[in-house]
Amino acid sequence: MIDAPDFSFAALSPLLLVLGAACIGVLVEAFAPRDVRHPVQVGLALTGTVGAFVATLLLAGTREVTAGGALAVDGPTLFLQATIAGLGALSILLFAERSLDPARSAFVVSAAVPAGSPRDRELVTTQRVQTEVYPLALFAIGGMLLFVAANDLLVMFVALEVLSLPLYLISGMARRRRLLSQEAAVKYFLLGAFASAFFLYGLALVYGATGSVRLRDIREAVTAESGGVLMVLGLGLLVVGLLFKASVAPFHSWTPDVYQGAPTPVTAFMAACTKVAAFGAILRLLYVAFGAAEWTWRPLIYAAAIISMIVGAVLGLTQTDLKRMLAYSSVAHAGFLLTGVIGFGAGGDGSGLAATMFYLVTYGLTTLGAFAVLTLVRDGDGEAGHLSQWAGLGARSPLTAAVMSLFLLALAGIPLTAGFTGKFAVFRAAIEQGAWPLAVVALLASAVAAFFYLRVIVLMYFSDPVADGPTVGVPGLPTTIVLAVTATATLALGILPGAVLDLAGRAAIFVG
Amino acid sequence: MTVLLLFHFGAGLVAPLLVRWWGRQAFLALALVPAAGLGWALSRLPTALDGGEVRERFPWVTALELEVVLRLDALALVFAALVTGVGALVLVYCSRYVEPGDEDTGRLAGQLTAFAGAMLGLVLADDVFLLYVFWELTTVFSYLLIGGSGAKVAGRRAAGQALILTTAGGLAMLVGLIMLAQASGSTLLSEIVADPGSGAMVVTGTVLVLLGALTKSAMVPFHFWLPAAMQAPTPVSAYLHAAAMVKAGIYLVARLAPGLADVPGWRAVVLGVGVTTMLVGGYRALRQHDLKLLLAFGTVSQLGFVLTLVGAGSAAVGAAGLAMVLAHGLFKSTLFLSVGVIDHATGTRDMRELSGMGRRLPVVTAAAVLASASMAGLPPFIGFVGKEAAFTALWDGALPDRTAATVVLVGIVVGSVFTVAYTARFLWGAFARKPGLPDTAPADLEHEPGPLFLTAPVVLALVGLAGGLAASSLDPLVAAYAETLPQLLPEPEHLALWHGLTPALGLSALTLAAGVALFLARAPVQRLQRRVAVPASADTGYWNVLQGLDRTAVVVTGTTQRGSLPVYLGVILVTVLALPGGLLLARGSWPAEWRLWDNPLQAVTGALVLVAAVLAVRIHQRLAAAVVVGLTGYGLAVLFVLHGAPDLALTQVLIETVTLVAFVLVLRKLPLEIGGHAGPRVRWSRGAVAAGVGVFMGLASAVALAAREARPVSAEYSELAEEAHGKNIVNVTLVDIRAWDTFGELSVVLVAATGVASLVFLRGRAGAVAQAEPEERQRAPRGRRAPRRDWLAASSTLAPRRRSLVLEVVTRLLFHAILVLSVFLLFAGHNAPGGGFAGGLVAGLALVLRYLAGGRYELGAAAPVDPGVLLGLGLLLAGGTGVVGLALGAEVLETAYFEATVPVLGHVTLVTALFFDIGVYLVVVGLVLDVLRSLGAELDRQEEEGEDEDPAEAEVIAR
Repeated sequence: MIDAPDFSFAALSPLLLVLGAACIGVLVEAFAPRDVRHPVQVGLALTGTVGAFVATLLLAGTREVTAGGALAVDGPTLFLQATIAGLGALSILLFAERSLDPARSAFVVSAAVPAGSPRDRELVTTQRVQTEVYPLALFAIGGMLLFVAANDLLVMFVALEVLSLPLYLISGMARRRRLLSQEAAVKYFLLGAFASAFFLYGLALVYGATGSVRLRDIREAVTAESGGVLMVLGLGLLVVGLLFKASVAPFHSWTPDVYQGAPTPVTAFMAACTKVAAFGAILRLLYVAFGAAEWTWRPLIYAAAIISMIVGAVLGLTQTDLKRMLAYSSVAHAGFLLTGVIGFGAGGDGSGLAATMFYLVTYGLTTLGAFAVLTLVRDGDGEAGHLSQWAGLGARSPLTAAVMSLFLLALAGIPLTAGFTGKFAVFRAAIEQGAWPLAVVALLASAVAAFFYLRVIVLMYFSDPVADGPTVGVPGLPTTIVLAVTATATLALGILPGAVLDLAGRAAIFVG
Repeated sequence: MTVLLLFHFGAGLVAPLLVRWWGRQAFLALALVPAAGLGWALSRLPTALDGGEVRERFPWVTALELEVVLRLDALALVFAALVTGVGALVLVYCSRYVEPGDEDTGRLAGQLTAFAGAMLGLVLADDVFLLYVFWELTTVFSYLLIGGSGAKVAGRRAAGQALILTTAGGLAMLVGLIMLAQASGSTLLSEIVADPGSGAMVVTGTVLVLLGALTKSAMVPFHFWLPAAMQAPTPVSAYLHAAAMVKAGIYLVARLAPGLADVPGWRAVVLGVGVTTMLVGGYRALRQHDLKLLLAFGTVSQLGFVLTLVGAGSAAVGAAGLAMVLAHGLFKSTLFLSVGVIDHATGTRDMRELSGMGRRLPVVTAAAVLASASMAGLPPFIGFVGKEAAFTALWDGALPDRTAATVVLVGIVVGSVFTVAYTARFLWGAFARKPGLPDTAPADLEHEPGPLFLTAPVVLALVGLAGGLAASSLDPLVAAYAETLPQLLPEPEHLALWHGLTPALGLSALTLAAGVALFLARAPVQRLQRRVAVPASADTGYWNVLQGLDRTAVVVTGTTQRGSLPVYLGVILVTVLALPGGLLLARGSWPAEWRLWDNPLQAVTGALVLVAAVLAVRIHQRLAAAVVVGLTGYGLAVLFVLHGAPDLALTQVLIETVTLVAFVLVLRKLPLEIGGHAGPRVRWSRGAVAAGVGVFMGLASAVALAAREARPVSAEYSELAEEAHGKNIVNVTLVDIRAWDTFGELSVVLVAATGVASLVFLRGRAGAVAQAEPEERQRAPRGRRAPRRDWLAASSTLAPRRRSLVLEVVTRLLFHAILVLSVFLLFAGHNAPGGGFAGGLVAGLALVLRYLAGGRYELGAAAPVDPGVLLGLGLLLAGGTGVVGLALGAEVLETAYFEATVPVLGHVTLVTALFFDIGVYLVVVGLVLDVLRSLGAELDRQEEEGEDEDPAEAEVIAR
């Protein structure tokens, strides 16, 4: 006889909203006539994500463990869920953009048609749009919301899969340069499968060592016997799985290829939301379950942070493709975020959690905005991602160049942008915990990384436009909203970040 | 103060608009902004003279403890006055320097005004982070100002260089500031200076802060960016590179010296670098022909001098330093502006082309001469006052170490000699009439400088003169700062024009004489300089570093990020091996006893599996590789049998077979050989990684098993199976104990099958497998039965060369037997090996056989049903069992048990779980059929109808 666990449906409402919308989306796909699907799906997806966002705001202050102890709804959960839902809604808007591509969508009509086949060529010019991406994206968002709330390793694994599988799929759905996109999807899937396998293996070992998959029970077991080799081994494998998702070096190798190949709105979505979700899970796992065994993972995270920052910054230097460059930037930022993770401190008394969460918000918004700008600059073959094509953009389209510059400055961490505040917060947290060598490396890496961000700005403003350069598309309403929101937020969080920082600070208590 | 800063930035924002409305006259309006700042600063003079301060403080980001704290004391006032005063004059100068209708005027105006604001903020900021913010802002603005319109490559290069160096320095400084703040427990500069704390943290922090200051103020070895930055328009050079930005480092050193001068390393760094810079800059200034470059190296030299003075950490020397800051700001901007006038008028700055300018531009010449006199240290200019004070203080030994004082004194005397020499050279080069060179003709003058154009240099030069004459009234202000420094001399010194006949005066005279001599001997000196030219310069070092970084990045990218999946995976696996693997080796608790095998057959099987694994790495053909991989699975099945688990073994064998079939169906579409030509080294390393991971996993399993403490879950299973009236534990587990799980699995299988099929079927997939149309099987009679002359129903539709008579016969003979077997397995499964899953797989294999023997139409004849229907039916049945059970009042999926004796069959037991198992059976058959239909039949069809073309060649190349 199994007793049904208690569910606090109110506390789970963000999750239920998004997953519910996803399920309805599947039904819409099956039953609604083709020509109404797009508006219905977009409306549905926005209702789900915005609804979830509002729900998390209404839930603020909730601290409970529900679903038989498998889910924790606490400050960090709600803060990160709000972040994911908000960024998810913005990503959906990017998905829904129809005025940039002459074919009205960034997604392939029928992903199963072999690239380059006659049927494929037939479909390239059709005005039909594919709407399956919306339920898929919703499932991914749902998985992410679950991921940051998971208080149980098994649920965490399920969430990991729920968020990953749709991502693998929609990475392969680019309308243009399809082979590149499919290659990206396959790579992401294969490597992701390995990462999931490691996670699962680690889960099994931890279960074997501690006798439970509940984070709270694991913590008690770890505190009681300070963990044997089995536990440490398991933890190591769990961390490998999570670091992969967060694209931390040396598990980052998929990032550039996938970021480049995937449709740009999807890249934006992955870069912003997946990172938030992955770090949410990392923080919860490390501090709720293994906080007492800090000595085991601290050196690991320390090293991963340094490698990630260096790899991201140095390899980013040579990139000539903007999407790849932003991918390496994402790797470097993962390192900066780990700096914040270190800054959480052994007893959880540091400001690292709040700092990391704030950083995630700023990074998510900025990077989403940067990718949104990327969708605007196009040539005959889709987006013009090569650096040389961006030369002299400042003269041709001052506004686009200015917005892009803002995002790049923020990514570089120049004061008065959101990026600076975020970096400052995590570095400060790390230094407070005595990790100042890490902060020094982080600063050096920032300097190197700043170089390649600024190079783009220089190129846009100080170079002569290329003769047959790309055109700058006029964004439709969705992209305009995204750009407005992200740019405003990037500035606002740089100049007056107080409110959000306070919010993060107040939310930064785990319930175990 | 805040209002003042906002005023600057606001003005910077509207400047382009003003320029659009009013043209270049807008500069005059903008000049009022820094002028207001100057007025305000001077109005606070009394407070500062009393040693007081003006403070403003309000929170910015409370959560991060970021505050806006501004503070004006004597030191800040001196710098603020310099920054705003020179700023205002430079803006006035700009109003005539720029051409009317120049496109970039608006930008220049905005950036200059905003820069003035940033600079003012820098000297007023008391919070370290605020200081850093302004510091970086000046960097960014200077970058924009040096880069100008970006039209010139050299300008961009110089701008980039300055940006990189000063940003890097700025970051180092930030780290240092953070460390200092940590050590002293406060983020306010005033409090850090008052109580810096102690320890390694302070020393490291200090060195890092100094690093920032040294890069910003262009000290050796970072001095090279300053001459390169002379690409900027002249007013920018005059402002940034003489009066303002390069003074930021000096300011910081002056600000911190009262508190940190006694930190170990401070004096060594500051004095060493300062004196070296003074000498290097002065020496190189003697070689320049470009007037601006000459001044730039002169600036480097003077900055070194000033740094030495303000950083010495001694009241008397510091006072001299502050005076020199003022002096240098005044005379150097005058000189730059004068060069601007000459450049503007003649279009050249090369002293080898200029001749007789002194007569043509008398006002400029006068201003430049006044400023030069100040630079050379001639009385009664402020330059003389400052230098004199420095000589006096050092002569009196105003350093903790007497020897150091002497060394520094010698250094700056030599440096001053250079200064005098290059000053003379400058004056001669710019204005003198040179033999052998015709006077610059009147026609060569493009512009006659107007009065407004000349205001700035003249005013600045006159202030320099006035400052010298009124040296004693300057003294209280300088003293207000110097009081904060350690008083190392028995009694304080005062700034004055005339101290009497002192040794310092003698030194001044000596420098003048030696300098003039050096100038007069310029021809031999230059020859000497050319001969001892140093091949390596800091500049080339910088570019080498940058290039090296670039090259490293390219190499690393090339080796690690090639888009190769094996490499990516390899990196991840190696990391796993290194970290958890290392841990396992280091700390693993191994099983107490290693038993190699229970039964020699296990060893044989193990060896076979190993061989298969090695072969899998070595074989190049896809199909063969798949088969070999399958072999490892069969080996596992054998091991199961040897362990006494025939049911598991059966399942394993069947799964392995079906997987192999799926593999074959897919792989036949791919090229025969595994692509890519990996060299032996690559293959060996891949093999090593693979073997390593395999060994790691095996060892980890061993350790995990050895570490088991809890009772295994499976211990209860035989009991539970008993309860469910079954003896086959595997089957009972599937259909009863963990029936919920199985139900979930069934749904997944269904979804997966549907997914695979819909990927292959591009258009409508509903319906059964296609059967042959009558005309396609001409010889085939109607009806389901196989024709007499053929062994199979539709094998005649195959091309003759693809037919195999043997296979057809065998299939004909075996098909039905296999189906019966599958049904037997289904029913017997509850107690004997078998079950719905195994039965379904066997039935599926029967279909596979038919398909292989007879082609796609044969499949249609063998199973004329829609796999979707099978899948749905199976799921319905499985789910229905649960629902019916629930309706009858039992638990969901609980097993009921009936027993009866039936005629013919005898004693029969019926477990309701059987219906669930039938559901499983149907789903599995449906799955296999779906796979066959999509990966087999549909692909065949597409191939026959030529739909499946390769991607267009162009696209392949484009990748």
